[in-house]
Amino acid sequence: MQDIQYIGEHLLPGRLGHFLILTAFVTALLAILAFRKKVTHPDDASWLRLGRIAWGIHSFSILAVIGLIFYIMVSQMYEYQYAWDHVSADLPMKYIFSAFWEGQEGSFLLWMFWHVVLGSVVVLTAKRWEPGVMTWLSMIQLVLVSMIAGVYFADDFRMGSSPFLLLRDTMQAPIFNNPNYLSLIEGNGLNPLLQNYWMTIHPPTLFLGFASVTIPFCFAMTGLWEKEHTAWLKPVMPWTLFSAGILGLGILMGGAWAYEALSFGGYWAWDPVENMSLVPWIVLLAALHGNFIARHTGLSIRTTYIFYILSFLLVVYSTFLTRSGILGEESVHAFTEMGLEWQLVGFIFLFLLSGIYFLVSRNKSIPVVLKEEQIQSREFWMFVGSMVLMFSAILITFSTSIPVWNKLVDVYGSLMGKGDMTPYHKAMPLDPIDHHNRFQLWNAVLLSIISGVGLLLRFGAMGWAEYKPRFLKHVGTSVVLGLGVAYLFSLWIELPSWQYIVLLIAASFGIVSNINYMINFAKGRLTSMAAAFAHGGFALMLVGIMVSGLNKRTLSENRFAQEGLAEGLDVGNNAFLIKDLPMYMNNYWVTYKSDTLEGLTRKYEVEFVKVNESGDTVEHFTTHPNILYDRELTKVATANPNTKRYLDRDVFTFISGLPPEQQDRANLEKIDSSLDYKLHFLAPGMTRKVGSYNIRLDSILLGTNHREYDREEDDLVLSGIVTVTDSAGTRSEKIYPTLIVRKGLLYSLTDQVNDFNIRGRLKASALDSLFPMDDKLAYEPLVIKSGETKTWNDLALTLQGIDKTIDHPNYRSMEGDIAIQAVVSIKGKDNKTHIARPLYFIRDGSPLNMKAYVPDIGLHMKLERIDPEKEEFHLYLARLSDTPLLPLEIAQDAPRNDYIVLEAILFPGINLFWAGSLIMLMGMFIGLYKRLRKT
Amino acid sequence: MPILILALMAAGVIMLISASKDMSTYSTFSQVKRSGETSKVVGVLAKDKPMYYNAEENPNLFRFYMTDQQGEVHEVTLQAPKPQDFELSEQVVATGSFVGDEFVASSILMKCPSKYKNEEVLVRSNM
Repeated sequence: MQDIQYIGEHLLPGRLGHFLILTAFVTALLAILAFRKKVTHPDDASWLRLGRIAWGIHSFSILAVIGLIFYIMVSQMYEYQYAWDHVSADLPMKYIFSAFWEGQEGSFLLWMFWHVVLGSVVVLTAKRWEPGVMTWLSMIQLVLVSMIAGVYFADDFRMGSSPFLLLRDTMQAPIFNNPNYLSLIEGNGLNPLLQNYWMTIHPPTLFLGFASVTIPFCFAMTGLWEKEHTAWLKPVMPWTLFSAGILGLGILMGGAWAYEALSFGGYWAWDPVENMSLVPWIVLLAALHGNFIARHTGLSIRTTYIFYILSFLLVVYSTFLTRSGILGEESVHAFTEMGLEWQLVGFIFLFLLSGIYFLVSRNKSIPVVLKEEQIQSREFWMFVGSMVLMFSAILITFSTSIPVWNKLVDVYGSLMGKGDMTPYHKAMPLDPIDHHNRFQLWNAVLLSIISGVGLLLRFGAMGWAEYKPRFLKHVGTSVVLGLGVAYLFSLWIELPSWQYIVLLIAASFGIVSNINYMINFAKGRLTSMAAAFAHGGFALMLVGIMVSGLNKRTLSENRFAQEGLAEGLDVGNNAFLIKDLPMYMNNYWVTYKSDTLEGLTRKYEVEFVKVNESGDTVEHFTTHPNILYDRELTKVATANPNTKRYLDRDVFTFISGLPPEQQDRANLEKIDSSLDYKLHFLAPGMTRKVGSYNIRLDSILLGTNHREYDREEDDLVLSGIVTVTDSAGTRSEKIYPTLIVRKGLLYSLTDQVNDFNIRGRLKASALDSLFPMDDKLAYEPLVIKSGETKTWNDLALTLQGIDKTIDHPNYRSMEGDIAIQAVVSIKGKDNKTHIARPLYFIRDGSPLNMKAYVPDIGLHMKLERIDPEKEEFHLYLARLSDTPLLPLEIAQDAPRNDYIVLEAILFPGINLFWAGSLIMLMGMFIGLYKRLRKT
Repeated sequence: MPILILALMAAGVIMLISASKDMSTYSTFSQVKRSGETSKVVGVLAKDKPMYYNAEENPNLFRFYMTDQQGEVHEVTLQAPKPQDFELSEQVVATGSFVGDEFVASSILMKCPSKYKNEEVLVRSNM
């Protein structure tokens, strides 16, 4: 195979990039060794220096790699597979970040980037812990670099997937035999579902959350390795709070994105990828609480170690599930596989085994307090709470890991030679929402109660004897007030079963108890309220989940289902709305009012009006769901919802269906050719009866009134103005079937009256008969003077004068042109007057003319010569037939094209969910602030 | 304390057992018909067979034919609008049960290749 010299490729960035990745790999390895040496030789400062230098070079390499990839993407170097896959010529620059982390290599780099940032903070702040923590961080970073290394072992075996691969190395295609292939290819572009601001902010926040889980893990492993089992518990705390806050925020953003942009109508679907981002967060919270207990009482150190290690392992497990493609049949988030499964599994096992090794080998040295935890102590309840959190995490992981179970079953089967193991496969629960809610409800109940009570207790049950009455008073008050609040909520929230009543009471108790703490115990000191905010926010979030979830109501429900008229199959969540026809649904009059095309997006206007018994408007709002088309404006790419937000509720609207012809241009042809057209020849003024309708051709136009026509230069346009009237004569509508000749191609624009199902179309032969080639015409001369009237055949022609303003559609004026138009009025047999304006002009000394054409009478007129002395105008007239006939095809079975299928959902109280979760996260950040202020 | 831990573990085991009962299996049409229960049928859209969706008549009724993993072709009724680009789907997972001779799906999950890589769309109806 001869070597092809490719034109236009920029190979330097790729080569530089490869080199930088290898540098990052080697320096990470060096950092591990150097930092570790510092740990074992604490007095030797040179190891620390070496470690920091290695880490510094490593950080620089990672940043440089990221910079190179951005450079490649912004410059649209499609010779690189990564650029080709995620960028296109029309991609707005604001989405370049989204394009960067759309791919797996990019998201790995984003993860590594955050590690670089956090690592620098560790170097600057961790003091005595720096060498140990950096050793572990460098190890993790080494594994991550290997994911993008793209190094081949022995032909088949690949470690990592490099972002600098050339497109022609990743796929076989005949185009690569062409040395000039670069000029022929276009970028793939960013998935339209990801072209929004969420894709710009959610991944970096979420990945910062994931990356920040690494640091507490590194602290834990350092404590274990160096057998310093208590000292690390203090410096790690700010990291844990930061991580829990940011990761929580990232997860919440994912929910907000789903709610705002996806069609499913909600913020959480218990989708496997969602679940696996939540689980590490839950376990991290368990670790946080274990950490509190360990610091204040010396208890639960081993448990805290286990929780921190698990939280990190779960982040790695979560990335494995997401990237390996193993969730292929179960998740809406399924990304493409990269062939990295074995590396990801290796990643998990490497750190799982390290964790187990160190836990086991250091077990004896971990201090264990022999005193029993008292039930009236804070640590007892925090421990129970951590257990409940672990429960919750285990349950979620269990259900979400079914595809892993299936894979293990397959591996077992192939090892044992048992053949096809698919009968042993399990699938996810049929209704994941119901499945998870059933169990997590009880976890939520317990957590609300525990977090409310726990805060009222003290570590080590200090001074219990004197404190007990006060404790009982506060718990008692909170219970009573909590019941009151629950009762008030129950007036608003419909609770379908007793379990939800229990949850509501528990959540109300949580809210009241934490507010009580803030008033009576924290006494207005913000920094003492961190836990109360976090716990109270959580409880409020639960109320928000209940009201927006349980009371969620589909406004666009099928009426017949409500009226119980039709059985079984007539249930439905979507409404069929005809333009300008209000439809009554669930107390609202809903109207699809209009739609406008802005760029690639068509914005629809849907109006909601609520009227009370006296007929007054009580509520009135409009939403604007939209449809995004693909680049060529031929097909719908995706639909975006739009939500009307009130303080106490949201109305979510989404277009779930459009006429097939509007979904895809290809359907235009398909459907049109399936209709039953009948051909009619009509002269202007003629009427025909079609079915129960009367069709009348008002006139023939060189141009059109069709609302979908956009004029382009040099278009030749022919249309008919057709009036369609119903048999009773009560209603008539006009349609404008049109033919367009543009750049040598013929286009047909049909037009229809939706309510009559009548569609009109012009036959292509209309052009031949009504717009014949000039050489087929026999011109006859007619000499006429200004103001004169002359007869030609059955027409009376009057030359009214001349006009220096030229309006001939085909005329392009050039410098030096002298041009005039003659204005000729023509009166035919029917006494209708038409005007013709033939054009005459002199260019470069030569006389030229452009004819005028009056389609209604089929008259062609040229002004060929003007005799200025005699003031005579030499006209030439031609006519193919006396009465031009327009070949008009009419179909009576045209499907409507003026509707939308709309889904509208009411979410009461959803702001309680957002508020509650934000308050919860704020609590964590207040805790972080409190600890940072101290240091 | 140990008693508490044991109690919690027992509760945990009970919950896990209960959770595992919710697990479903992938079935074929004939298996679902025989069992009479709700299950998931994995297969592909039968592109040579007609699809029925008329928004004007009923925006919440969509009918199509699906071939399961044993090769049996059967009609599926979904009480939701026709999903975007359904014709392009490479794989369909229909969750539902038989009502008489009709397979009624409460939700379908389809895998659409397109140029946007393996992306999936989950369509649910009246949940």
